[in-house]
Parts: sequence; structure tokens; C-alpha cells
Amino acid sequence: MTKRKVALVIGAGSVKCAAAIGLARVLARERVDIDLIVGCSAGSIFAALMAMGRTSDEVAAIAARLWTRELTSTRDTRAMLSIVLPKLLGFGEHFGMRSDRRVRAALADAFGDTRIEALPTRLLITATDFRTGEQAVLERGRVVDAIRASIAIPFVFTPAEVDGRLCIDGFLSDPLPVGPAVRDGADVIIAMGFESNYQERIDTPGRFAFQLSSIVTNNLLRSRYAFHSVAHHGEVIAIVPEFRERIGLFDTARIPYIIEEGERASEAMLPHLMRMIDSPATHAGEA
Amino acid sequence: MELSVSQHGDVCVVGVRGSVDGSTAMQLQDTVAAQLTGSAARMVVDCAELEYTSSAGLRALLAGVKECRRQGGDLRLAAVSGGVRRVLDLSGFTGILRIYPDVDAAVSSYAS
Repeated sequence: MTKRKVALVIGAGSVKCAAAIGLARVLARERVDIDLIVGCSAGSIFAALMAMGRTSDEVAAIAARLWTRELTSTRDTRAMLSIVLPKLLGFGEHFGMRSDRRVRAALADAFGDTRIEALPTRLLITATDFRTGEQAVLERGRVVDAIRASIAIPFVFTPAEVDGRLCIDGFLSDPLPVGPAVRDGADVIIAMGFESNYQERIDTPGRFAFQLSSIVTNNLLRSRYAFHSVAHHGEVIAIVPEFRERIGLFDTARIPYIIEEGERASEAMLPHLMRMIDSPATHAGEA
Repeated sequence: MELSVSQHGDVCVVGVRGSVDGSTAMQLQDTVAAQLTGSAARMVVDCAELEYTSSAGLRALLAGVKECRRQGGDLRLAAVSGGVRRVLDLSGFTGILRIYPDVDAAVSSYAS
């Protein structure tokens, strides 16, 4: 009996992606071998750390240091002025209101010059091609460059050039990138996704914009997941933690709670997951 | 997974107990298909005891829905639990399927 190929997909979700640590703990305890990890946006950080073989505790500690509000604290004044003086200040596709100096330093601290293709577990990081709208699947090159592309939040960070493509945040093409795992022939795909919060009140242009973004992102997540569910030959298992408390984008103080919720959601799926992993394998292309 | 089949007037009710995944999805699909032979394609899947469905289960459900509708009928769901509902929500199935709180409501829906 051929072993089933198992993939783990960690979708976009800012600090909520730390729930994947809870999932990783459950999978490690059950000795589930993961053949492929796919990460998108903040999920790419956790995906890369896991693919490197970091323990759950190491991942939690690195994530708490890396994903902080300070990442976006340095304004790019010239860029912001270019909004009102586009021709004079040369507004273009490389627009971003925040300097990425801190985020690049934080990523370098965590990943150094590690290359994707050299990792112990196969890793794919997804971004979005800013010029074509297509999903960009990054499977080689420096981890820091791939993550920087995947987390290139529009308006916040400038798009990033990787592999000859100008990339923005991966969530814009698919917040839960199951597709690359399907294409890679994974039999069982464990997909941890996160729904975007809706605003409790809308009293600023920022909240108005965030509300629209959440509407689009959540609908995109559902529609892409629906397609992948029916197109896949095997099993896609969605784990979408439900957070009883509201989690802010950079609420790293809540990481222990987030991990706990990730663990809880994973335990609920565990009997079904183990049954699917233990079933006889079928491979893509076989009847 | 265990399946039960019962007739409520001209509506066939298939009860599903347990989980639908890759190892059991074909059984569900075949059972639904078998009920369609020579009958009006009005079906209800009773999900009161359905604990979980994977994507394989969704594909089996979709195949049943499409065949029922191709034959001029429908496949409707009854008594969907929270966890299963969440999977259906996430995969967009709640947008293409009619779901009712219980079997009686689902069966009655064919009369209106």
C-alpha cells in the first residue's frame, strides 16, 4: 500500500496564522508526516518555519518577535505625498506607504539566506502577480524574498520583485492556496484558513476600506475552496478556527490563545483526518 | 457510515449516519443514484446523524444534486449540524442547495 501524500496549507490571516502551531503540535503528536507545506501571506512565515523543521515552541517565539505592529510603523513620507502629487512625485506600481526596512530585517533575522529548495520539507509560498492578477507560486530562491512578496500588503508595503514578477500579497489571488497542493498531487490536504473580521462599527475611511476588503477576501476564500474541493481527487480537510475573542492584525500578545484555538479546531478534526491518512492511497491520474 | 432509505410519499429520504469521506463517499453516491432509477427525482438527505463530510463527501453530494436536477427533481438537505454546516458554508454549497431544519420541512418543501 502506497503512503498517502499529505500537504499542509496555511492561509492568510495575519497573527491568527499562529493557530497553525496548534495544528502542528497535534500532527507531531500523532506522528503525521507532512510531505508538502504551502503558505500564503502571514501563513507563509509559519509555513517556512515548519518546513525548516523548527519546533512549535521555536515557531511561536520567532513569530512573536517577527510579526509586530512595529513592522509597519515607519512611514514613507514621499510615497504618501505622491498620492496627492502623483505626476510630480512619480506615483507608480511600486507604491507603499510604509518602509519595509524593519520587516526585511526581521525576516533576515529569522531565515538568513535559507533557500526554499534546500529545506527539509518541500515548501511553496504563494503571492499574487500585480500585473496579471495570477497566483505566483514561489518554489525556489531565498525564503526571505518569497515571504516578503507574499506579505506585500497593498498600500502598506511596496510590491516585491521575485522571479521576474512584481508580486503583492498572496491573499489577493487566493487566501487559502489549496490549488498548488492539488497540482502537486497531494492526496490529503489539511487546509487551515482564517476568515477576515468584519468591522464592529464603520466610522472611518480605514474601517470602510477594511470592511470591503473582508467581504471580498471571505468570498474569494469560499469560492476558491469550493472549486478545489470538487476538483481534487482525494481529501481536502478544512480547519477554520473560530475565535471567540476579536483578534487584531498584530495582536501577538494573543498568540498563546490563538495556538490553543488552533489546537482545539485540529483535535475536532483529528479522527476524520487520521482515517483519511490511513486509507489506501490513490494517486492523481489513477482511476 | 450507515445509510438508510425511506419513502415519504413521492420523496425519497436517505439518512446518513457517521462520516462521509473518501472511503464512504461512493457508497452514498451509488445509493442516491439507485433511488433515482425509475422514480421522480425528489430526494432529501437527512443529516441529523451526519458527523462530518470531507471534500469527497461534497463531491458525492454534488453528483447526486446534479443528477436529481437533470431528471427534473432536486436533492435537499435536512437537519445539518454545526460542523457540517460550516463545511458546506465554506465550500459554497449553502448557496446552491436548499437546507431545512428537519426531514418533515424538507419533504414538505416539495409540495410548495
